[in-house]
Amino acid sequence: MSIGIVDVGIGNIGSLRGALYSQGWDAEIITKAVDMAHVTHLFLPGVGSFAVAMRRLHAAGLVDPIRQHAAKGGPIMGICLGMQLLADRGVEGGVSEGLGLIPGDVIKFKVASQLRLPHVGWNELHPQAEHILLKGVRPGVDFYFVHSYFFDARRETDIVGTTNYGFSYPSFVMNGSVVGVQFHPEKSQRNGLQLLDNFCLWDGAC
Amino acid sequence: MTVKSTSLKRCSRCGLPETYETIEFDQYGVCNICRQQEFKRDKIDWQERKRLFEALIEEFRGKYDYDCIVPFSGGKDSTFTLYHLVKEYKLKPLVVQFNHGFMRPTLLANNERTFKALGVDVISFTPNWKVVKRLMREALIRKGDFCWHCHTGIFSYPMHVAIKFNVPLVLWGEPSSEYTAYYDYSDNEVETVDETRFNRFVNLGITAEDMKGMIEKDFDLDPRDLLPYTYPALRDLKRLRYQSVCLGSYIPWDVKRQSQLIMDELGWQGDQVEGMPPGIYPYEKIECHMQGVRDYLKFLKRGYSRVTQMTAIDIRNGRMRKEEADILISDWEGKRPPSLEIFLEYLDMSEDEFNEIVRKLVVSPFQPDFQAIQVGSKTPDFDKWYRETKT
Repeated sequence: MSIGIVDVGIGNIGSLRGALYSQGWDAEIITKAVDMAHVTHLFLPGVGSFAVAMRRLHAAGLVDPIRQHAAKGGPIMGICLGMQLLADRGVEGGVSEGLGLIPGDVIKFKVASQLRLPHVGWNELHPQAEHILLKGVRPGVDFYFVHSYFFDARRETDIVGTTNYGFSYPSFVMNGSVVGVQFHPEKSQRNGLQLLDNFCLWDGAC
Repeated sequence: MTVKSTSLKRCSRCGLPETYETIEFDQYGVCNICRQQEFKRDKIDWQERKRLFEALIEEFRGKYDYDCIVPFSGGKDSTFTLYHLVKEYKLKPLVVQFNHGFMRPTLLANNERTFKALGVDVISFTPNWKVVKRLMREALIRKGDFCWHCHTGIFSYPMHVAIKFNVPLVLWGEPSSEYTAYYDYSDNEVETVDETRFNRFVNLGITAEDMKGMIEKDFDLDPRDLLPYTYPALRDLKRLRYQSVCLGSYIPWDVKRQSQLIMDELGWQGDQVEGMPPGIYPYEKIECHMQGVRDYLKFLKRGYSRVTQMTAIDIRNGRMRKEEADILISDWEGKRPPSLEIFLEYLDMSEDEFNEIVRKLVVSPFQPDFQAIQVGSKTPDFDKWYRETKT
């Protein structure tokens, strides 16, 4: 088993790596295609702009290897921007094509003026369905969020959990072995660490 | 100025006072400890819990050198736990005992009988006594609870053994929800005995790292001396895929039934404890010859002690009326135990110094009356206890 964290300079790798380390997991840093050779579990973290991130992934030659990993049923977890990159399209920084692993578009929040952007802080995850990755995580517990755009999933069946910020939006999406979480599990204390643990123990099957 | 224990606000049902750790009273004046017990009795699906337990042990059975570690003091709870795991479930445990330094003769005899009757492998660890003495002094001064080495040793050391021996499953006995609300039965969760719990209340808010800083200026400390009191790194436990839980989260804990069982099946014997009415609670806290001083400190700081706690449990279970309890409490609680003399010898401290320290740690609104303290009687094995008399 080998855990990989994609690093193309668009994410805070440290927190994720530290969280995994404390839970007993060792992760490799993936910067180019050849690094993907033995990876069984892939993390795609991200902080920043959709367009910039996709350009960087292309430049690193990682887009195809990531898609191939998904095609083989390999577990992938996209975190925050990383989750958004799993979509078909994003509009941040200009319209650009995403990895296309979970049908949907990433669009900006349109919220009432009393609610500020970015959505920052602890908020509840409401599961719409049972999922093996949520084992040991009670419905409605808080996770830590920082984002201004959200994943508008096309299929209801791909939505594992939602969160409310002015309206209910998908905060946990899934398509086969590919999952995306809008919140930061590595910053979400006990429940976040539980989720990371569950992912590292997962074989990708539903 | 003194505030008597009789003027403390108390639970209208069981009598526990407002100075009890974690206590809260609801609009009926009933305490959360009583309410937790109601939840335990009426709302927890114990059949489901039993199923969970049986699934848990099968994950580990036969796969390692031992099926589980059972941290063991030899008191009623750990003896029952060991008995239950061996007899009911035929598990192969590694019994791990942390020797706090104050084990009583009856306890030692009980343990020998228990280990031989059940047929188990046992490891016993005794930490450096000189370090223990310095730790007791520091803990007494900072917290009015000299048992820091024991609290931390009991909960850390077996985890080190789990890692060293590669035995991931650690099975404890009674959940803390039996006594306090740091963990509440009403959360309807298994109580995990982990570092979070250790830091929440076990270590009194003092880690081994803290303690090092507190004692190293005047004590010749090798940092490794504090390893037995240090909780191991989470990473090491996670890599082991450890699970550390209380048997009492899977079966409803019933001390009266369980004590009777081990007395009948293992010949386990109770003992007299300083400050307790003779014969009524022979199963409670019999392991340690410093128990009297522990209970005395509790009384000085909080205005109640072991008799209040034991009668509270009986009242809650409908085994005693409040009036009977009140008589036992007023007759037996709050007396200065003979073992205090031994304790003061260990620490080379006078009783005046002791009282001065305790005065600073009293839990409001109680105020002890040091002038009105009566002297309690010795237990039969008093003369067998280790002394450090200055010659």
